[in-house]
Amino acid sequence: MKQILLILIFLSFAGWGRTQEIDFNRQIRPLLSDNCFKCHGPDQGKRKADLRLDTEQGLRAELDGQQLVTPGKPEESELYLRLVHEDEDERMPPQKTRLKLSSSEIELVKKWIAQGAKWQEHWSLRPLENPAPPKGEGSDWPRNAIDQFVLRGLRREEFSPSAEEDKARLFRRLTLDLTGLPPGLEELDSYLASEAPDAYAKAVDRLLESPSYGERMAWDWLDLARYADTNGFQGDSTRSMWPWRDWVVRSLNANMPFDKFTVEQIAGDMLPDASLEQKLATGFCRNHMINGEGGRIAEENRVEYIFDQIETIGTVWMGLTVQCARCHDHKFDPLRQRDYYQLFAIFNQTPVNGGGRDPATPPVIRAPDSLQYGKLDELNKGITASALKVERVEERLFTREEGQNASQSEAAKGLPKKVVEALSRGPAERNPAQLGEVEKHYREGMAAYSALLKKLREQVAEREKLEKSFVRVMVMQDKPGSRKSFILDKGLYNQKREEVSAEVPQSLPALPEKAPRNRLSLARWLVDPSHPLTARVTVNREWQKFFGTGLVKTVEDFGAQGEKPTHPELLDWLASEFIRGGWDLKALHRLIVTSATYRQSARWTAELARKDPANRLLGRGPRWRMPSWMIRDHALAASGLLVNRLGGPSVKPYQPKGVWAEATFGKMRYSQDKGEKLYRRSLYTFWRRIIGPTIFFDTAKRQTCEVRKILTNTPLHALATLNDVTYVEASRALAQRVLEKAGPEPADSATMAFRLVTCRRPDADELKILLGRLAILKEQYSADPGAAAKLLSVGDSPRNTKLDAIEHAAFAGLCSLILNLDEALTK
Amino acid sequence: MNMDPVTQHSAQLTRRHFFGRSSTGIGAAALASLLGGGATAAPGASGLPHFAPRAKRVIYLFMNGAPTHVDLFDYKPKLKELHGKPVPQEYVGGKRFSTMTGNPKGKLMLSPVEPFHRRGQSGAWVSDLMPHTAGIADDLCFIKSMFTEQVNHSPAVTFFLTGSEMAGRPSMGSWLTYGLGSETDNLPAFTVMTSVSKGTSCGQIFYDYYWSSGFLPSRLQGVKFRSGGDPVLYLSSPDGVSRPVRRGILDDLAKLNELRFRDVSDPAISTRISQYELAYKMQASVPELSDISQEPQHVLDLYGPQVKERGTFAHNCLMARRLIERGSRFVQLMHAGWDQHNSITTELYNQCRDTDQPSAGLVMDLKQRGLLEDTLVIWGGEFGRTPFIQGNIKDRRRWGRDHHPYAFTTWMAGGGVKPGITWGASDDLAINSVTDKVHVHDFQATILHLLGIDHERLDFKFQGRRYRLTDVHGKVVKGIIA
Repeated sequence: MKQILLILIFLSFAGWGRTQEIDFNRQIRPLLSDNCFKCHGPDQGKRKADLRLDTEQGLRAELDGQQLVTPGKPEESELYLRLVHEDEDERMPPQKTRLKLSSSEIELVKKWIAQGAKWQEHWSLRPLENPAPPKGEGSDWPRNAIDQFVLRGLRREEFSPSAEEDKARLFRRLTLDLTGLPPGLEELDSYLASEAPDAYAKAVDRLLESPSYGERMAWDWLDLARYADTNGFQGDSTRSMWPWRDWVVRSLNANMPFDKFTVEQIAGDMLPDASLEQKLATGFCRNHMINGEGGRIAEENRVEYIFDQIETIGTVWMGLTVQCARCHDHKFDPLRQRDYYQLFAIFNQTPVNGGGRDPATPPVIRAPDSLQYGKLDELNKGITASALKVERVEERLFTREEGQNASQSEAAKGLPKKVVEALSRGPAERNPAQLGEVEKHYREGMAAYSALLKKLREQVAEREKLEKSFVRVMVMQDKPGSRKSFILDKGLYNQKREEVSAEVPQSLPALPEKAPRNRLSLARWLVDPSHPLTARVTVNREWQKFFGTGLVKTVEDFGAQGEKPTHPELLDWLASEFIRGGWDLKALHRLIVTSATYRQSARWTAELARKDPANRLLGRGPRWRMPSWMIRDHALAASGLLVNRLGGPSVKPYQPKGVWAEATFGKMRYSQDKGEKLYRRSLYTFWRRIIGPTIFFDTAKRQTCEVRKILTNTPLHALATLNDVTYVEASRALAQRVLEKAGPEPADSATMAFRLVTCRRPDADELKILLGRLAILKEQYSADPGAAAKLLSVGDSPRNTKLDAIEHAAFAGLCSLILNLDEALTK
Repeated sequence: MNMDPVTQHSAQLTRRHFFGRSSTGIGAAALASLLGGGATAAPGASGLPHFAPRAKRVIYLFMNGAPTHVDLFDYKPKLKELHGKPVPQEYVGGKRFSTMTGNPKGKLMLSPVEPFHRRGQSGAWVSDLMPHTAGIADDLCFIKSMFTEQVNHSPAVTFFLTGSEMAGRPSMGSWLTYGLGSETDNLPAFTVMTSVSKGTSCGQIFYDYYWSSGFLPSRLQGVKFRSGGDPVLYLSSPDGVSRPVRRGILDDLAKLNELRFRDVSDPAISTRISQYELAYKMQASVPELSDISQEPQHVLDLYGPQVKERGTFAHNCLMARRLIERGSRFVQLMHAGWDQHNSITTELYNQCRDTDQPSAGLVMDLKQRGLLEDTLVIWGGEFGRTPFIQGNIKDRRRWGRDHHPYAFTTWMAGGGVKPGITWGASDDLAINSVTDKVHVHDFQATILHLLGIDHERLDFKFQGRRYRLTDVHGKVVKGIIA
């Protein structure tokens, strides 16, 4: 019943009631897929009666001498006749499958055949066309093309878009969406004061350039990349992949084009003259769990790591449930088991052997995190400058022919062997010992030259020292030669069947004939503009970031069983624009947040609430509870506790005692950090896979790839934001902040706290409630000063002892209320 | 709102409950009823149960690490005869064992370490290692023909509890609360407690995916009760926040949220109001649940000497009874330390000491309260242990047994299961299950059946596929149903 309802809702979306023209992809394929494909679909192993309904050819076939589908004539079409067959044994789907088409669904099939049975390729596999945005139809509402598509959808259902959101609320939404942090009061005030027509656009530009932008956008990428600080499984050894995490933040902040972002993470090591950064990027592929349980078979582990790699790539870039083809041909989508193992073959070439629990299983590199990266960058610049100075001197000192090095100069003849050896390299290529030899040799005779060498030596030595402090990051690298790959029966590592060679799935565009069948070609193929999936899947996932739900709700599944897009043309237009603009993520984000669609008020109207509670028509602005990590960042920022520094090793903020110990029989104990590390942004929180940080809820587990956002509403969340030290301390700090800044007048302080959290002033009713509560809290804490002292001692940050303790505690109570407002927790 | 149809469905039910059927305006009366505790417990999926249930709730005593069926329940006299002799090749040829055993060829057979006796009217064989379990043999249904496909702990436990060896599918408790809903509005419907015997050298880690809701709504995830600190994370108000202070803050929080709701009409706000109220109730109901000071001594005695000590299996067993009394649907106790690779003559005794009496005590306590009739108690691990030795036969102190998936024993009690029977059998060396074999999926199908659920009809569509606890397998073991 639920399904039929959904289908009806769906049909009404498509405006079917009016146009009457049946759309195969939207209306017929889902029915066939859901009810028939399992036995008459892509899986040749399970196919019954040699009949397949997932291809055009299949539908045009005959069954027992009867046309399966006779266009225009349902009564002469076996497909229809079988659905309505009187004999239960003949009727499809068979009873034992418990599948059943409703009479209205059967009617649809009949109508579709009567209308000529037009077939279409599955929507997500069709080449991207660039649909023209519909004309505004006399409305001045649209701000960009997104709105033109959205408006058409709303008008079809006889809805109008909502008015623009209140200025302050919109600014809060925007700032949280782009940076994951609330605006400061100064930013807020200056924005509210500005009457300039481009004030919003300027705010968008400023936020896109904020370093916090990369941190906010990185979280979702870390989720899908199953990034964590430990191996998972028994033992759960600690690993050091955070330089990769920092690479993600840097790349997003630098607005690295998504095609480059893709290629570097899948195959950066294979690029010509791959840089350290490009190799580091491939840590993406190595973020999978590592099983070090005693008694595990190394080869079985190794094979499972590859499964994880290709399934992650399948989900992230193609929105395909490739894992379904691990044991058999896919039941619904055109992915054969052979395709799966051909992809497997591409990743089957690393030297990883699957043994042991070492969290730095080769191939590994030493790579800088963002803190070290800055230093390294500085040193490199210094070294280049110093080396140039040395070079200039040496050009005069050791005159030589072009193409020769200093050691080949006449002037170098007769010098000590070690000096000559050093001179055979350019100054920047010499190691400290070599630089020292030359430096020593000329210390007496040419003090100035020697001093230049000394400086360079010190800089190079410092760089060496810095590089030695880099942690080991697991990366990708193929071993020489080629490892054979086989179809593995049921996905079992030792059940080898037919040998296969590396190749992309047959049903997708082919690789260029001459391209080597390796990771680099695969990566480039994914971001080839002709690939039908990558851009669609990517823009849809980005859309989800802002609206909570994708245009295709099943962000992880663009296959036959996934949801169809609510706005197919909009999705395709966004995808085409994305490619055309050079895979520019910031441009995509700008496009979304500057649309009138995004800027709408989030207020529900009775009409929309009844007809479109999930807001799939986008008739109101997005409003949903922030992810738990953002709730924490928000509280830290509003209270002024946040330590906003980019990158570096993961940190261990507050966690109730004994959580790790209980999960590991005391083998692991959480040693909470002190000082600034307690107040870093959530994405730097240490993530133990077997027992994730307790403060986050509704979050990806960081065990395998997850792309869909989870949003639930349980009492456990309320307990966390009411009682966890993080939030109690934030309440205390927020109270202190406003008592220090806004002065003694309760209304001023309460208003300031409310504004810091919600970005707006409380109205009269609200202020009355707040002040009333404050007065009661003051009474309660006056009566029990001991309780006030206890509350004020929660958390490590020092408190301003000049503030009256009773007043501070009462305000802390009030701030806890404010931080738990629905409006505080919601974007 | 980003909700799957089920969450949406239940959210709508809640909404309807709070607002009547009409518009989106919340009235003062509705709000009052909400704050006054009028919220009902969460409903299950529509159309469930599929038929009259025999059990309403489950207590699963999961023995992590795989107890040795050979030494505890599956009595085979021939093992004594063959003690110290190589395992006959025809029993093990071509079978996969853990890499610790590798090829079993030539491994020496190991006799059970303690004598067995027939117990009660039913005459079930139980080792002297389990005297209390032996004492309730007539209440138990032993399944001696279990087998599984997994040979390592984590995948095998995951297989038992979620139907798949890969982490990430919903666990049994989530499926049941999804299907049947909850009968309590101030305690979790699905609770997990863990323990390990003191002095155990090799405990198996409890991964949170053993009680994961997988792709089901995450409110269906098992709530882990902790053995130290707050039983539920973040349950206690912070220092310096008294109950009246908290009450007052929550009252005004609700008022302000209601003002907001009047403005934007987003039903998520009203749900949030109710969840905060529920959180407040839990702050009282969980401590009440955990307070065992009113339990009479003769009841405490049933569970043995460790019952008052938090974090012990005995204490958890008592808590399990208290939870199901208060309407919990599924209580999953997990006790680690059964992995006797080299401690059959040492640590196995500790395991039995710590679990035998509490398990039996729980069954007796439920029985005397009339709760056993509709409460299903399950005892068992993820696989069995090899009837042949791991280690040196001359070094008795270090005798051990390796992982063994081909035959092992579990028991069930109450909840519509035939008491006092033994179902199925392994071969004469306890190596392979041979008679009335019960696969893990059969076991799961049977549990669901006892709760009134057709395992083939309790499914959930995710990533384009309908998933069920029993994957595409499972046959109900009708022979054990009373």
